Amino acid sequence: MSTAAGSAVKVGDELEPLTRVVSQEQINAYAEASGDFNPIHVDEEFARSVGLPGTIAHGLLELGILAEAVARWAGTSDALLALECRFSKPLRAGDAITCTGRVAAVDDAEGVATLDVEATSDRGERVLTNGRARVRLSR
Amino acid sequence: MARAIAGPDAPFEPEAVPPTYAAVYCLAPAFAQLFTDEEVGINLAGLIHGEQAFEWPARVRPGDTVDASAEIISVEDKRGMTFVTLAVEAVRPADGAVVCKGRSMMIVRGGGA
Repeated sequence: MSTAAGSAVKVGDELEPLTRVVSQEQINAYAEASGDFNPIHVDEEFARSVGLPGTIAHGLLELGILAEAVARWAGTSDALLALECRFSKPLRAGDAITCTGRVAAVDDAEGVATLDVEATSDRGERVLTNGRARVRLSR
Repeated sequence: MARAIAGPDAPFEPEAVPPTYAAVYCLAPAFAQLFTDEEVGINLAGLIHGEQAFEWPARVRPGDTVDASAEIISVEDKRGMTFVTLAVEAVRPADGAVVCKGRSMMIVRGGGA
Protein backbone atom coordinates (compact mmCIF):
# COMPACT_ATOMS: atom_id res chain seq x y z
CA MET A 1 0.00 0.00 0.00
CA SER A 2 1.16 3.49 -0.69
CA THR A 3 0.78 5.74 2.29
CA ALA A 4 1.87 9.04 3.67
CA ALA A 5 2.78 7.07 6.77
CA GLY A 6 5.95 5.46 5.52
CA SER A 7 9.41 5.14 6.99
CA ALA A 8 9.86 8.92 6.91
CA VAL A 9 7.18 9.43 9.57
CA LYS A 10 8.53 11.40 12.50
CA VAL A 11 7.32 12.90 15.73
CA GLY A 12 5.53 16.19 15.10
CA ASP A 13 4.13 15.23 11.67
CA GLU A 14 0.57 16.47 11.35
CA LEU A 15 -2.57 15.02 9.83
CA GLU A 16 -4.20 16.88 6.98
CA PRO A 17 -7.11 18.48 8.90
CA LEU A 18 -10.47 17.01 7.88
CA THR A 19 -13.47 19.33 8.14
CA ARG A 20 -17.03 18.19 7.58
CA VAL A 21 -20.34 19.96 8.15
CA VAL A 22 -22.56 17.45 9.94
CA SER A 23 -26.11 18.15 8.79
CA GLN A 24 -29.30 16.76 10.30
CA GLU A 25 -29.61 14.65 7.12
CA GLN A 26 -26.22 13.10 7.83
CA ILE A 27 -27.18 12.44 11.47
CA ASN A 28 -30.40 10.78 10.26
CA ALA A 29 -28.38 8.66 7.83
CA TYR A 30 -26.06 7.65 10.65
CA ALA A 31 -29.05 6.72 12.83
CA GLU A 32 -30.21 4.43 9.99
CA ALA A 33 -26.75 2.93 9.54
CA SER A 34 -26.09 2.38 13.23
CA GLY A 35 -29.61 1.64 14.47
CA ASP A 36 -29.21 4.32 17.14
CA PHE A 37 -32.40 6.36 17.01
CA ASN A 38 -31.99 8.00 20.43
CA PRO A 39 -34.29 11.03 20.05
CA ILE A 40 -31.56 13.44 21.19
CA HIS A 41 -30.09 12.88 17.71
CA VAL A 42 -33.18 12.97 15.54
CA ASP A 43 -35.99 14.81 17.37
CA GLU A 44 -35.41 18.55 17.78
CA GLU A 45 -38.30 19.09 20.18
CA PHE A 46 -37.25 16.15 22.34
CA ALA A 47 -33.61 17.28 22.42
CA ARG A 48 -34.67 20.71 23.68
CA SER A 49 -36.94 19.11 26.29
CA VAL A 50 -33.93 17.43 27.92
CA GLY A 51 -31.93 20.65 28.03
CA LEU A 52 -29.91 20.39 24.84
CA PRO A 53 -29.71 23.34 22.45
CA GLY A 54 -31.05 21.10 19.68
CA THR A 55 -30.28 17.74 18.13
CA ILE A 56 -26.69 16.56 18.39
CA ALA A 57 -24.52 14.20 16.36
CA HIS A 58 -23.84 10.68 17.56
CA GLY A 59 -20.45 10.55 19.26
CA LEU A 60 -19.60 7.52 17.16
CA LEU A 61 -20.34 9.48 13.97
CA GLU A 62 -17.76 12.03 15.10
CA LEU A 63 -15.36 9.20 15.93
CA GLY A 64 -15.99 7.79 12.45
CA ILE A 65 -14.94 11.09 10.88
CA LEU A 66 -11.86 11.17 13.13
CA ALA A 67 -11.05 7.60 12.04
CA GLU A 68 -11.34 8.71 8.42
CA ALA A 69 -8.92 11.59 9.01
CA VAL A 70 -6.35 9.15 10.42
CA ALA A 71 -7.01 6.55 7.70
CA ARG A 72 -6.50 9.16 4.96
CA TRP A 73 -3.12 10.00 6.48
CA ALA A 74 -2.22 6.32 6.76
CA GLY A 75 -3.43 5.62 3.22
CA THR A 76 -5.91 2.95 4.32
CA SER A 77 -8.17 2.24 7.27
CA ASP A 78 -6.53 -1.21 7.45
CA ALA A 79 -3.55 0.51 9.09
CA LEU A 80 -5.66 1.83 11.96
CA LEU A 81 -4.87 -0.39 14.96
CA ALA A 82 -6.61 1.57 17.70
CA LEU A 83 -8.49 4.80 18.29
CA GLU A 84 -9.92 6.35 21.40
CA CYS A 85 -11.33 9.66 22.57
CA ARG A 86 -13.55 11.43 25.04
CA PHE A 87 -16.80 12.97 23.80
CA SER A 88 -16.27 16.24 25.68
CA LYS A 89 -18.87 18.51 24.11
CA PRO A 90 -21.86 17.74 21.93
CA LEU A 91 -21.66 18.59 18.22
CA ARG A 92 -24.89 20.30 17.15
CA ALA A 93 -26.60 19.44 13.90
CA GLY A 94 -25.40 21.80 11.19
CA ASP A 95 -22.06 22.49 12.85
CA ALA A 96 -18.73 21.71 11.21
CA ILE A 97 -16.26 19.37 12.85
CA THR A 98 -12.53 19.62 12.16
CA CYS A 99 -10.31 16.65 13.03
CA THR A 100 -6.60 17.19 13.59
CA GLY A 101 -3.69 15.21 14.91
CA ARG A 102 0.05 14.94 15.19
CA VAL A 103 2.49 12.12 15.62
CA ALA A 104 3.45 11.77 19.28
CA ALA A 105 5.70 8.72 19.03
CA VAL A 106 7.16 6.36 16.44
CA ASP A 107 8.15 2.82 17.32
CA ASP A 108 10.44 1.78 14.50
CA ALA A 109 10.90 -1.76 15.80
CA GLU A 110 7.13 -2.36 15.89
CA GLY A 111 6.44 -0.19 12.85
CA VAL A 112 3.73 1.67 14.72
CA ALA A 113 3.07 5.38 15.11
CA THR A 114 1.03 6.86 17.96
CA LEU A 115 -0.83 10.09 17.26
CA ASP A 116 -2.54 12.60 19.52
CA VAL A 117 -5.83 13.41 17.82
CA GLU A 118 -8.74 15.71 18.56
CA ALA A 119 -11.66 17.51 17.00
CA THR A 120 -13.10 20.99 17.34
CA SER A 121 -16.37 22.48 16.17
CA ASP A 122 -16.79 25.71 14.23
CA ARG A 123 -18.13 27.16 17.49
CA GLY A 124 -14.60 26.78 18.80
CA GLU A 125 -15.51 23.96 21.16
CA ARG A 126 -13.24 20.98 21.62
CA VAL A 127 -15.76 18.23 20.92
CA LEU A 128 -13.38 15.25 20.91
CA THR A 129 -10.50 15.32 23.40
CA ASN A 130 -7.96 12.94 24.93
CA GLY A 131 -7.78 11.34 21.51
CA ARG A 132 -5.12 8.80 20.63
CA ALA A 133 -4.63 6.68 17.53
CA ARG A 134 -2.20 3.85 16.77
CA VAL A 135 -1.29 3.32 13.13
CA ARG A 136 0.73 0.57 11.48
CA LEU A 137 3.38 2.06 9.25
CA SER A 138 4.02 0.53 5.86
CA ARG A 139 7.60 -0.03 4.76
CA MET B 1 -22.25 3.30 7.31
CA ALA B 2 -19.45 4.47 5.01
CA ARG B 3 -21.87 6.84 3.28
CA ALA B 4 -23.27 8.07 6.60
CA ILE B 5 -19.78 8.94 7.85
CA ALA B 6 -18.89 10.63 4.56
CA GLY B 7 -22.07 12.73 4.55
CA PRO B 8 -21.83 15.18 1.66
CA ASP B 9 -18.42 13.83 0.58
CA ALA B 10 -17.50 10.66 -1.31
CA PRO B 11 -16.88 7.70 1.02
CA PHE B 12 -13.14 7.25 1.65
CA GLU B 13 -13.12 3.47 1.07
CA PRO B 14 -16.57 2.52 -0.21
CA GLU B 15 -15.79 -1.23 -0.42
CA ALA B 16 -14.27 -1.56 3.06
CA VAL B 17 -15.92 -1.93 6.44
CA PRO B 18 -15.33 1.41 8.19
CA PRO B 19 -13.45 0.80 11.47
CA THR B 20 -16.18 2.42 13.54
CA TYR B 21 -18.73 0.02 12.04
CA ALA B 22 -17.72 -1.74 15.27
CA ALA B 23 -20.52 0.42 16.70
CA VAL B 24 -22.90 -2.02 15.01
CA TYR B 25 -21.23 -5.42 15.26
CA CYS B 26 -19.52 -4.93 18.63
CA LEU B 27 -21.31 -2.25 20.71
CA ALA B 28 -24.92 -2.39 19.60
CA PRO B 29 -25.66 -5.91 20.91
CA ALA B 30 -24.37 -4.98 24.38
CA PHE B 31 -26.03 -1.59 24.45
CA ALA B 32 -29.32 -3.07 23.32
CA GLN B 33 -29.28 -5.51 26.20
CA LEU B 34 -28.10 -3.16 28.89
CA PHE B 35 -29.87 0.04 28.04
CA THR B 36 -33.24 -1.31 27.00
CA ASP B 37 -33.55 -3.81 29.85
CA GLU B 38 -36.54 -2.75 31.91
CA GLU B 39 -35.05 -4.24 35.05
CA VAL B 40 -31.91 -2.15 34.68
CA GLY B 41 -34.26 0.76 34.15
CA ILE B 42 -31.96 3.18 32.35
CA ASN B 43 -33.65 6.15 30.78
CA LEU B 44 -32.37 6.14 27.20
CA ALA B 45 -33.04 9.84 26.86
CA GLY B 46 -30.58 10.59 29.62
CA LEU B 47 -27.86 8.45 28.15
CA ILE B 48 -24.64 10.11 27.01
CA HIS B 49 -21.64 8.44 25.40
CA GLY B 50 -18.72 9.68 27.47
CA GLU B 51 -15.65 7.92 26.10
CA GLN B 52 -14.88 5.26 23.54
CA ALA B 53 -11.79 3.21 22.84
CA PHE B 54 -11.45 0.67 20.04
CA GLU B 55 -8.68 -1.70 19.05
CA TRP B 56 -8.77 -3.67 15.81
CA PRO B 57 -6.31 -6.57 16.15
CA ALA B 58 -7.61 -8.02 12.86
CA ARG B 59 -9.70 -6.29 10.22
CA VAL B 60 -13.28 -7.38 9.67
CA ARG B 61 -14.39 -7.89 6.04
CA PRO B 62 -17.76 -7.61 4.33
CA GLY B 63 -19.62 -10.89 4.78
CA ASP B 64 -17.88 -11.89 8.02
CA THR B 65 -19.93 -13.30 10.88
CA VAL B 66 -18.77 -12.21 14.33
CA ASP B 67 -19.75 -13.02 17.91
CA ALA B 68 -19.86 -10.03 20.26
CA SER B 69 -19.66 -10.15 24.01
CA ALA B 70 -19.60 -7.50 26.71
CA GLU B 71 -18.85 -7.18 30.36
CA ILE B 72 -19.73 -4.40 32.78
CA ILE B 73 -16.42 -3.28 34.27
CA SER B 74 -17.62 -0.62 36.66
CA VAL B 75 -20.64 1.37 37.76
CA GLU B 76 -19.99 4.58 39.67
CA ASP B 77 -22.38 7.20 40.99
CA LYS B 78 -20.98 10.72 40.90
CA ARG B 79 -22.66 14.11 41.02
CA GLY B 80 -26.12 12.70 40.44
CA MET B 81 -24.97 10.76 37.37
CA THR B 82 -24.09 7.13 36.87
CA PHE B 83 -20.94 6.22 34.94
CA VAL B 84 -21.07 2.76 33.40
CA THR B 85 -17.94 1.29 31.82
CA LEU B 86 -18.23 -1.70 29.49
CA ALA B 87 -15.58 -3.88 27.91
CA VAL B 88 -16.66 -5.34 24.58
CA GLU B 89 -15.09 -7.81 22.22
CA ALA B 90 -15.99 -9.25 18.83
CA VAL B 91 -14.53 -12.53 17.58
CA ARG B 92 -14.78 -14.02 14.08
CA PRO B 93 -15.54 -17.71 14.71
CA ALA B 94 -14.31 -18.74 11.25
CA ASP B 95 -10.68 -18.22 12.28
CA GLY B 96 -10.97 -17.27 15.95
CA ALA B 97 -9.56 -13.81 15.25
CA VAL B 98 -10.45 -10.99 17.62
CA VAL B 99 -11.61 -8.31 15.20
CA CYS B 100 -12.44 -5.65 17.76
CA LYS B 101 -11.89 -4.90 21.41
CA GLY B 102 -13.55 -1.89 22.90
CA ARG B 103 -14.17 0.03 26.04
CA SER B 104 -17.19 2.30 26.37
CA MET B 105 -17.94 4.75 29.13
CA MET B 106 -21.59 5.75 29.21
CA ILE B 107 -23.09 8.45 31.42
CA VAL B 108 -26.64 8.08 32.66
CA ARG B 109 -28.02 11.39 33.82
CA GLY B 110 -30.41 11.36 36.73
CA GLY B 111 -28.89 8.18 38.12
CA GLY B 112 -31.09 5.73 36.24
CA ALA B 113 -29.02 2.66 37.03
